[in-house]
Amino acid sequence: MDKNEIFNIVKRSIMEIVPDIDEKDICPEISMKDLGANSVDRMDIIIQSMKELEIKVPMVEFGNLKNIQGVVDLLYEKKLTFGK
Amino acid sequence: MKRNLLLESSQNTQCEKVVITGMGIISSIGKDLAEFEESLKAGRSGIGILNSSNKPSQSNIGASVSDFSFETKVKSHLQPEYNELLKGALNLGKRAPVSVKCSIASAVEAWIMARLHEKQVYGRRTGIIIAGSNLSCGYQYGLYKDFVDAPEYLSPTYAMYFMDTDHLAAVSQLLGIHGEGYTTGGASASGNVGIINGYRLIKNGIVDVCVVIGAMADLSPMEIQGFINIGALGGKKYWSKPESACRPFDIEHEGFIYGQAAACLVLESYNSALIRDVPVLAEIMGGAIVIDGNRKPDPNEEGEAAAMRHAIESAGLQKEDIDYINAHGSASPLGDSTEVGAIKSVFKECLSNIYVNSTKSLTGHCLFSAGVVEAVSTIIQLRGGFIHPNLNLDNPISTDICFAGRESINKESNIGMSNSFGFGGINSSIIIKKGV
Repeated sequence: MDKNEIFNIVKRSIMEIVPDIDEKDICPEISMKDLGANSVDRMDIIIQSMKELEIKVPMVEFGNLKNIQGVVDLLYEKKLTFGK
Repeated sequence: MKRNLLLESSQNTQCEKVVITGMGIISSIGKDLAEFEESLKAGRSGIGILNSSNKPSQSNIGASVSDFSFETKVKSHLQPEYNELLKGALNLGKRAPVSVKCSIASAVEAWIMARLHEKQVYGRRTGIIIAGSNLSCGYQYGLYKDFVDAPEYLSPTYAMYFMDTDHLAAVSQLLGIHGEGYTTGGASASGNVGIINGYRLIKNGIVDVCVVIGAMADLSPMEIQGFINIGALGGKKYWSKPESACRPFDIEHEGFIYGQAAACLVLESYNSALIRDVPVLAEIMGGAIVIDGNRKPDPNEEGEAAAMRHAIESAGLQKEDIDYINAHGSASPLGDSTEVGAIKSVFKECLSNIYVNSTKSLTGHCLFSAGVVEAVSTIIQLRGGFIHPNLNLDNPISTDICFAGRESINKESNIGMSNSFGFGGINSSIIIKKGV
């Protein structure tokens, strides 16, 4: 699985969970918060993405990430290490 | 959204009359008020097979709202210029459990009917009551298997959605409600308990408007099986003929049939309705709750009669003033005969002047929302000048009561009583008057 596929998984979750969002607004450089995702939404997006990737990462590790790219990078790293 | 605040704050002054200015409904016999009224008049039942992919059985009979489209209903009540309200409703309901969707949708219908989107009252003078408890059973049950396999993947929204107060949170955010609010539990009497509390909030001047939502009972297979094992569920004989299974007051009654519905009433002080210049649909004249002090689910004639008497008294009326009763009429053999005994002991020589029917014969037993659904049914019949039929009432258990027949009749009634009796000895009765 490459980072692009992971980005698409995260993007799909964002589209499902965050209200009034335009697909073209979702890019790696932007943060979920700036897209209008509140704290519950952000946890929901990450958990849903982990479920689809079949990995389990403590939520605290996602705390200091700057933007969606940061989330994708961390999920990619964990998938490599622990994923099937 | 333009807020045209017409009312000055009038803290804690006693209010004369509590009226109804808006109603909303989503049920197996109507996706909105117009369809619901049509079904009441036509005597259309919503009872059928609950899950078509399962075989017919006692546990698979009920009146469902399975083909309900939340988006379609909300859009149908909101004109395009109320885009903010529409967007808000769709976002709040998007990932919410079905019961919450139904609460939001019925609240929108009632709010618009009361014209509160145009002629609003101060947020702090508007209250909200969610009538019902244990509203997320079906939702929780549906998540359980995945949870056991991988608890880490449980959505964080579960922490919000499992609570009954989520209905209050969602609807209050949507409609800008900032007065008092809470949920009321009363088992099958929850609806009336909610209405009575809304009535008291307004009567005591705490709020001028109160949205009362009878929330849909989203049962899981465990609750259904529990009701079967305790002998409360009908369909023992008619499991293969769902349309004949719900038989309130008939000699072949054998238990209640599960019905899904959510309903909403906008209660308002008469003064506020006058100032806002909005139509008054009905008046809540009074109500009462009487507890039996009984842990078991069996009904009590004295408790039921006391609730009816206290309700009449609280409305400042006599028994002669009541000309219609919307019975609890759950089709439980003991429940039906107990209610008949209670009605006879309260109304005595007035019985022949009072038509009695049970909306449950059409909608099934909507449990937590039943009281509000049946208040809506009562108001529709009072305003429409008709009495809806008692379906499957082939051989009534009593000839002393003037039961409605198997077809609607035209009849102008003025003041109706609506009863709801819940497991655990909770008896309730409310009095509703046509117009003002």
